[in-house]
Amino acid sequence: MAAIWLALVLLLGFNLAWRVHQGLTFRTDLMALLPRDEADPVLQQINDNIAGSLSRRVAILVGDRDRDHARAAAAGMTRALEASSLFEPLALRSGSRQFAELGALYFPYREGILSEDDRQRLLDGKAETLKARALSQVFGIAGMADARLLRGDPFLLLPAFFTALPLPSSNLGLDDGMLSVTDAGMTWGLVSGRLLGDPYSLDIQSRLNTAFEAASRQARAGSPDVQILHGGAVFFAGAGATAALEEMSTLGIVSGIGTMALVLLVFRALTPLLLSLLAIGVGMGAGLSVSLLLFGDLHILAMLLGLSLIGIAVDYSLYYCVEMFSPGQRTPRERLTRVMPGITLGLVTTVVGYATFLLAPFPGLRQVAAFSVAGLIASFATVVFWLPLLDRRGPVRHGSGLLAATALLWRFWEASKLRPARVAVLIVLAGVAIAGACRITPLDDVRRMQSLAPDLVAEQARMQHIAGFAIGTQFFVVRAADDETALRNEETLLDRLRSARRAGALRGYRAPASFIPSAKRQRENRALRQGRLETPLLAGYLARIGLQAAERDVAPDDVLTLAMAAKVEPLAEMSRELTVPNANGVVHVVMLDGVSQPDLVRAAAIGIDGVNFVDPAADFSRLLGRYRRRAVALIAVSAVLMVPLLALRYGVSGAIRVMLPAVLATALVPLAKALWGEPFTFFDTIALVLVLSIAVDYAVFCAEADAAYKPVALLGVWMAMASTALSFGLLIRSQAAAVHAVGGTMLLGVITAFLLAPMAGTHRVTKDD
Amino acid sequence: MNRRWFLVALTSAPATLAQAQLRSLAAGEVLRGRFKQERLLKGFDRPLISTGDFVLDHGLGLIWRTEQPFAIMTVITSAGLVQSIDGEETTRLAAARLPFLARLYDLLGAALSGDWRALDKLFQVTRQGDPGHWEIVLEPHAGADPVAMPLRSVTLRGGQFLDEAKIVRLDGDSDQLAFSGQSLGTSLSAAESERLRGAGK
Repeated sequence: MAAIWLALVLLLGFNLAWRVHQGLTFRTDLMALLPRDEADPVLQQINDNIAGSLSRRVAILVGDRDRDHARAAAAGMTRALEASSLFEPLALRSGSRQFAELGALYFPYREGILSEDDRQRLLDGKAETLKARALSQVFGIAGMADARLLRGDPFLLLPAFFTALPLPSSNLGLDDGMLSVTDAGMTWGLVSGRLLGDPYSLDIQSRLNTAFEAASRQARAGSPDVQILHGGAVFFAGAGATAALEEMSTLGIVSGIGTMALVLLVFRALTPLLLSLLAIGVGMGAGLSVSLLLFGDLHILAMLLGLSLIGIAVDYSLYYCVEMFSPGQRTPRERLTRVMPGITLGLVTTVVGYATFLLAPFPGLRQVAAFSVAGLIASFATVVFWLPLLDRRGPVRHGSGLLAATALLWRFWEASKLRPARVAVLIVLAGVAIAGACRITPLDDVRRMQSLAPDLVAEQARMQHIAGFAIGTQFFVVRAADDETALRNEETLLDRLRSARRAGALRGYRAPASFIPSAKRQRENRALRQGRLETPLLAGYLARIGLQAAERDVAPDDVLTLAMAAKVEPLAEMSRELTVPNANGVVHVVMLDGVSQPDLVRAAAIGIDGVNFVDPAADFSRLLGRYRRRAVALIAVSAVLMVPLLALRYGVSGAIRVMLPAVLATALVPLAKALWGEPFTFFDTIALVLVLSIAVDYAVFCAEADAAYKPVALLGVWMAMASTALSFGLLIRSQAAAVHAVGGTMLLGVITAFLLAPMAGTHRVTKDD
Repeated sequence: MNRRWFLVALTSAPATLAQAQLRSLAAGEVLRGRFKQERLLKGFDRPLISTGDFVLDHGLGLIWRTEQPFAIMTVITSAGLVQSIDGEETTRLAAARLPFLARLYDLLGAALSGDWRALDKLFQVTRQGDPGHWEIVLEPHAGADPVAMPLRSVTLRGGQFLDEAKIVRLDGDSDQLAFSGQSLGTSLSAAESERLRGAGK
């Protein structure tokens, strides 16, 4: 058996070495860990598509008091990023050509084009306002109209339409070929474009960051006062991944050293340490190797949680090694025989716990489960097949102090005169549970769980303040059979969003229909303009400015279409951003800026066919909530599943006795955490699955122990608890709220499980070994 | 839009440029005067003539009040331009979206302090005459972006104050401005301050 296991380990080792040689890839987006909404797969796919293109957006503001410095630095930044071949700048050609092209595109169709506000004025019967505005522009200071424009567009409605166009934001303007804004004496140039690559790939993140930092240094060398603000998912993901990687290495080192120190301190010998390291190493390697075989790549958080497995994988070897303190057993075989039932049951219950992860459709949790199950089985096999062969140690004699300490805990749970104390403790625990139950607050809002780098968040806020835009995450998806239907539905939506904006529910919106009205609306606009503006007011107006009516240049009765617009450079960018290629019909996107009342915005789509509001963070939060509740049910299911397994060995009442401390610990932890003010999240429920498995494990060990052996068994449990607390407890320091939650729950969970575990051994009823 | 701003600033700036011939407009000083604007557009029966008065406060901005042929109030500040007719706002443009305006504000400041080098960046500057009767001709440098600089030339004439300005556009259309009754004051009326501050919101 030992040889077969060696062959298997070698195979897994080769696989791992080969994969490492090829270069490991880690996924870093939190969303990839989470379950998908399967209700509307087409919509889900479109959302993924749009979310993907949003996440590839990069926006950098480069500012300086000196306009020339700001422009030079912004242009240098664009060149440097473009040279990294990771970044494709937004196509922006010389301003004059942009304007000329826009003008040439719209001018022939001007009769059907009206800005939102002007259309509303005509609908409200305020045509006089438009006439007055035109007069003030013709006569007033800084008039821009010339005869050609006035002949074609006497009321200057097309310039008003251009002024109202939702350029990337309300603040940015085109200055000499560069999108710029001035704010508090600073000139800011926008460097904006698309990332060419996966924003969640570590490699892309680090390459882009290197290029960005080099370009920033260069800009500062050119002008020391230059300020640079950067935003985009790739930077956030990069910062998060860097933090996670740092945590991972710190955690690995600290928990590794801590576990080693623990083993050395307790055993005062090298053999147990080497044996434990072997079990951990094989476990980790096998876990990683199997996960890579199954998934191809690993999520960095799965890796982080998987690494914490050090604390559990070491348990089997610790239980084995603790047998060295037992005076009765002399040979390695005897030691193994003694712990075999305990570690087998422990493995089975832990694997059942992890296997429940597979029942929930969480891609990330499947990775954690696969990693853990493979790692635990490998550690177990290593202990069972190899440790007795490698173990040359005689019994350890210095354990009396430690054993006396663990005997104290036994006495607390067993001595009949301490019964009142036990009752008191249980009453206190019940009090904690009740108080916690009153305070427990579920938290599912994914936005509050993502740990975004605070300096980046501050930069983002400043960017939003200066440029008036953020890289938004909320949008509407408009699905229709053809462009015309989509545009009409958007117009219905935009009319409602217009009032929502006035009510302060959002700051802005951008849809294909903002640029190109539907053919229906163009015809309406034409009729509106003729009926309400030109028929009553045109002759008088022309006479007043001295332009002969006969000289008017009237546009042909044609309609501008989206397809025509997409061919013209200034609008091609809009078309790329706001339309999604789709095989069955057309898909348009309505981008939203500064949504402050999502419910009002969501309501704007009610009753419009094929229009859906997408708020990825809110959708994920809802899913988290749903699965948090499901996970609680899963814990109950796995607790019930464990009973028949335990009953095989301890009988039904014995099985319930073993389950009691485990269930108590599992239930107490979230309630006790609530007293601290910690919220109850989906990630806590995940940790609770583990707490249950581990607590059963501890209880089984106590249940296995006969009277003389009890202190030794509990010493093994204590060591298992200490090593788990060392590895998982460190997760509490994590920046990532999800990992922090897992850490806190595990830490409290294993300590509680340890303290309660002797309850399982109090009245042992099974046969002797 | 840029053209609009450009003209705005030039019609206000020269009034103070002229000041620079004698002394700079001190902080808090207010320049008042009347104007007559004759706009010559090809293809129109007659020139478009407007008259009215203006108030310039360097720190706050410019109020350009057209009286004939009808009342138009244009208020220009560092925050942008607001135009209204009979108290009803018809146009509001944010300066944040028009960085060219900020550039012209820099220019205005530079001109007030008599620093003509700032103008050299944008124009070929030719000066003639003496402080009593001077003429300045501004022409864009060769190769300037026609959108950022949609002008053929600007000619300014004056003595103690700016008296005349002629702005010729690329297509030959032109604006002739004549100023009269200029005087230096020390304060704005409450209504004027209110208007300038209101435009900044």
